[in-house]
This record gives sequence, structure tokens and C-alpha cells, in this order.
Amino acid sequence: MKIYLLPSDNLFDFVLKLAEDGSVFYPKLEDRATHLVRFDKDKKFEPDFTHIRTAETVKHILFPSRDVVATFPKDEKRKGEKQFLLGVKACDLRGVEVYDRVFLKTDPVDPFYRLKRENTLIISADCPEPDDYCFCNLVGLHPYGETVCDINITEVSNGFVFEPVSPQGEKLVQAHAKLFEEASADDLKEREKLRREAQKTLGKVNEKEFSKDLPDRVESSDRRTMHKARENCVECYGCLHCCPTCYCFLLSDFKKAKTVERVRTWDACYYPAYARVGGGANPRSNLDERFWNRFNCKFNYFHKYEGIYACAGCGRCYRGCSGKIDIREILWQW
Amino acid sequence: MAMVNPYYPIPIKIKKIIPETPTITTFILDGKPMQFEAGQFMELTVPGIGEAPFTPSSSPYADDLEFTIMKVGRVTSSLFSCKEGDTVGVRGPFGKPYPLDKFRGKEIYIVGGGVGFAPLRSLFLALLHNIKDYKKLYIRYGARTPEDIVYRRLLPEWENTKGVDIVLTVDVGNNSWKGNVGVVTVILDDIPVDVAKSPAIVCGPPIMLKFVTQRLIEAGFNHDSIYLSMESNMSCGIGKCNHCRIGEYYVCKDGPVLTWDEIKHIEEPFV
Repeated sequence: MKIYLLPSDNLFDFVLKLAEDGSVFYPKLEDRATHLVRFDKDKKFEPDFTHIRTAETVKHILFPSRDVVATFPKDEKRKGEKQFLLGVKACDLRGVEVYDRVFLKTDPVDPFYRLKRENTLIISADCPEPDDYCFCNLVGLHPYGETVCDINITEVSNGFVFEPVSPQGEKLVQAHAKLFEEASADDLKEREKLRREAQKTLGKVNEKEFSKDLPDRVESSDRRTMHKARENCVECYGCLHCCPTCYCFLLSDFKKAKTVERVRTWDACYYPAYARVGGGANPRSNLDERFWNRFNCKFNYFHKYEGIYACAGCGRCYRGCSGKIDIREILWQW
Repeated sequence: MAMVNPYYPIPIKIKKIIPETPTITTFILDGKPMQFEAGQFMELTVPGIGEAPFTPSSSPYADDLEFTIMKVGRVTSSLFSCKEGDTVGVRGPFGKPYPLDKFRGKEIYIVGGGVGFAPLRSLFLALLHNIKDYKKLYIRYGARTPEDIVYRRLLPEWENTKGVDIVLTVDVGNNSWKGNVGVVTVILDDIPVDVAKSPAIVCGPPIMLKFVTQRLIEAGFNHDSIYLSMESNMSCGIGKCNHCRIGEYYVCKDGPVLTWDEIKHIEEPFV
């Protein structure tokens, strides 16, 4: 597909056009972190595509933390709303890829995820300045969007290099063709340079690769060795809720005046009662077991079935960890 | 939404409630909103309380869905306070059925414990429906006490069916109990089937699964012919929410029945 350039001055107009069709979410820098915020044409538009991934994952948008998935006795229909996610980083695209495989590509399809996903256009952005928490290069990713997204953009001196990845992405550029030019050789050269530098940074931060046979090593690891890995865990389970690939959920029913709502909420496999059965027996009452299960879920089982790790290398779990448990250190041991 | 909502339970009335033991009751629902095969399970909703997974205890050929349930947790306790005529919800079926094709022409060795007889009854009735397809059906069942034996009302008829061989035991007998006393493995000492060719199907509490599996392996059953009903925490039933994971399996999707061959590499699969 052709590669385009959106001159810097046209970005606002482009986003304005998008906003005519649906909600637009973009990264905004606040207190040294970017946050995924909703575009409002009456408010100052200051996107930040340079900083690493947003504090929030895109799962907040595609797989909300609380969602009504059924009403009883009569189910209610739901309509989709068009939305655009602007500036998503490669790590969060891995999150979407995991969700797509779980909720769309494995039968039965989850109609709620599908409704949101099919109405969402993802415009990812290069990640030129990975920090010390980033390790997307260790889970098979590059610091720019190559798949899952509809368009990937790179901020260069003249504006934004737009590379459509999906037919929908190409269609979107075509629909606003007046705002675009063809990207020049210099624009592309600059993009390559930025990408090389980002990859160099990632290589420096993460000098060691994970073992090629990591899935087997995780599976054959002794559960008791997990004890050392989780020694500093304060059991807040934040690492799982901020994870862009974690998709565990729980269904709970709530009585309303005349109906019952079935609500889906995020769950996390570190909670002690997560695997407890009705009679009280609990196969993973011990945190070591739960750690072992999490590592197998992400780096063994998912890889076995889908060929990718259910890990984005975003570093949120480490950055947010009160006990400063670096997931890489655990994985490098194997 | 044009698509089927897999989280929506179909409302259905409770037609009849039959207490089986002091803690186990059979709920007969008014109809069968969906077809199922023996071994598959469903999620039963008590409106406003929640849902829990159960394998039907009725024949897949019957007109009404039946569930035989033990009162153990929040959902089952609420279900036990339901009355005939009350509405509950049901969704499913989920999971894989027993591979009845593989059982054809063979002796079938069924071992149950406690309320584990419920899903086995559905299998048993499915087998009975085409009994000429099978060489012989064996049932070995253990309960805690004579009062805890489920389906006492149905046992005499089953015991008198040609091609069916039933042996019971109780952990603790009483004055009127003339049968075997001891945990279920005491009636597995002498296994009258061609173990190398027969499937063994087991359902019961985890501790029973553990010891029965050991016994069946020792007796010479093939590891891929020992079918075990796995218990696990479940929420979605469709292989998404991750709760029921045992090793690399989703019990809801890959099970709920897994063979010993499939799970033997898992550290302590019966908890």
C-alpha cells in the first residue's frame, strides 16, 4: 500500500473529520505520563506521540472493566458506536491481538467485544523513545505498528508518515485525501532512522533475549521456585489489571427493579478465590501456584495455542508494582 | 444484536422438585430449550443470585431437563429455596460429550461417588437408550451413608435391567444396610471387565477421583480410556474467562470430562 504524509498543520483538521464520525481517543501528556483521552474540539488538542504507551491500556475501551452482557428475563439489544484510537503503541496492539484471538477468532465469538472491535479503527504510532521498563523487543514486537492496526503513523519533521495497514485504513486516508501528500524519500529515511534508534535503545535496555524454548521451560519449572520470584509481592494484583493482554473476567448477577443484569467485570488470577469451587476446594490457594499459573498462561499455554506470548512487553506490571518485581528478571532465569 | 448472546440464560420454569438425600435434590425443568449430549454441561441461573455449572442428570433423549444438585455454595443454596413453578435460567450446552462412538460394542465400567452419580445417570440413560450397542454396563457407586445414596427410587428398576450390573457401597452403614461398607475402591477389587478394551468413566469428589484413578490404572485400564469428570471454578462456560483452567485445558471447553492420558502430566490435577 502507498505511504502518505499528513503535514503537521493538517493533523487537527484530520482529527476533526474523524470526530464527525465517532469518538476519537488520543494520548495526552499529563504528569509525566500519557493518558488516553477523548478528543473534544472545544478543548486544546495537544497529542503526544513521542512518549511511551499510555498509562491506561486500550482494553478500557474495547473490553471495559464493567459491562452488562445480558439482561434477564428479556435480553436487550445493543448498538455499536464508531470510535478511533489514535496513537496506540505496538505493545498495546499485542493486547488487541490477544483479545482478537480470544474473543473473535475462537468460537463462540463474544458479541460484545465484536461490536466494539468492528466499530473501532486503530491508528497506531511509532514509539521513538522506549524507556527502561519497555521490552516489546523480547516478545517479538518492533516499536511501531505492523499488524492489528489499520494505519500506523510516524511523527517526522514535516508531519506524520501515514502507512495504511488494512483496507479500512487505506479507505480512511482516501476519504480525506485532500489533507494528505505522498510521503517523500526523506520522510521515509527519517522514519527509518527513528526506528533504528528506538530499536537500539530497546536492545540496550534488554541485552538478553528470552530462551528460545521459554514455553517448555516455564512448563517444566518447579512451582516452588516461584516462591522466590514473588517474595516481594504485596498481593495488590495491580499487575494484572493494568496488563493489556490479561483477559480474565467474572460474570455476576445484580437485581434491578424488574430485571436482572448480568455484569462482566475484569478478574485476575492472583486473587485467592479465583479458582475456588463451590464446595470450598481451591487448586491454587497458594500464591506460588497462582504465580506459576500466570506465567504458564502468558508464556506457555497461549504460545502453544496461538504462537505468540500473551505479553506485550509494555512494562506496566513492573512500573506499577509496589514490590518492584521485574517480570523480565523472572523470565530471564528460565 | 444479530448474534446469539452466549451469556444470556434462557428462562425456564421448575416443574418438579424431588429430594434425593438430605443434601441432594433433583430439579426437573419444564422442557428442554436446547439439545445436549451426555457429558456436556450447562450453566444454571438463579435470577439475581448468579449461576453455576451442572451436568444434566436426565437422558439427552428426555423431554425435560433435569439436574441433580448438592447444596454446597451460594447458588445451590438459593436454588434449594426455589419452589415448583419458579423461573430459573439455563444456558449451554458447553463442553465435549462422552465419545459414545468409541464405547460401542464394549463393556462400560462406570464409577461414581456421592452427587457424582448425577452426570453419570445422564450417560447411563443415554447408553440404556441404545443398550444393544454395548456389551454390558457396570455401575459401581459409593455414598457416605445409606441415606446419601441418590436415585434410590430408580435403582431397583436399573438393577433388574438386562445387561446392567450395579454394585453399591457406603462409607458408613446402619442397622438396615446389608450391602458393602467402605469407600468406593472396596468394590473395585474385582473388576469383571476386559480392562484392556473397556472404557472406565468416573465422576465424584476429587479425593475419590484420585484413588479410583490409581486403582483403575493398577487394574490395567488404558490411560486414554479412563474418563474423569473434572471439577473447577467456572464463569463463562465458553473458554474465555480463564477461571476453569487446569494445566493447558479449559475444563469448560476441552472438558468437563478429560482422560487420564490428557491430564496425567499435571501436578495434582484433583484438588
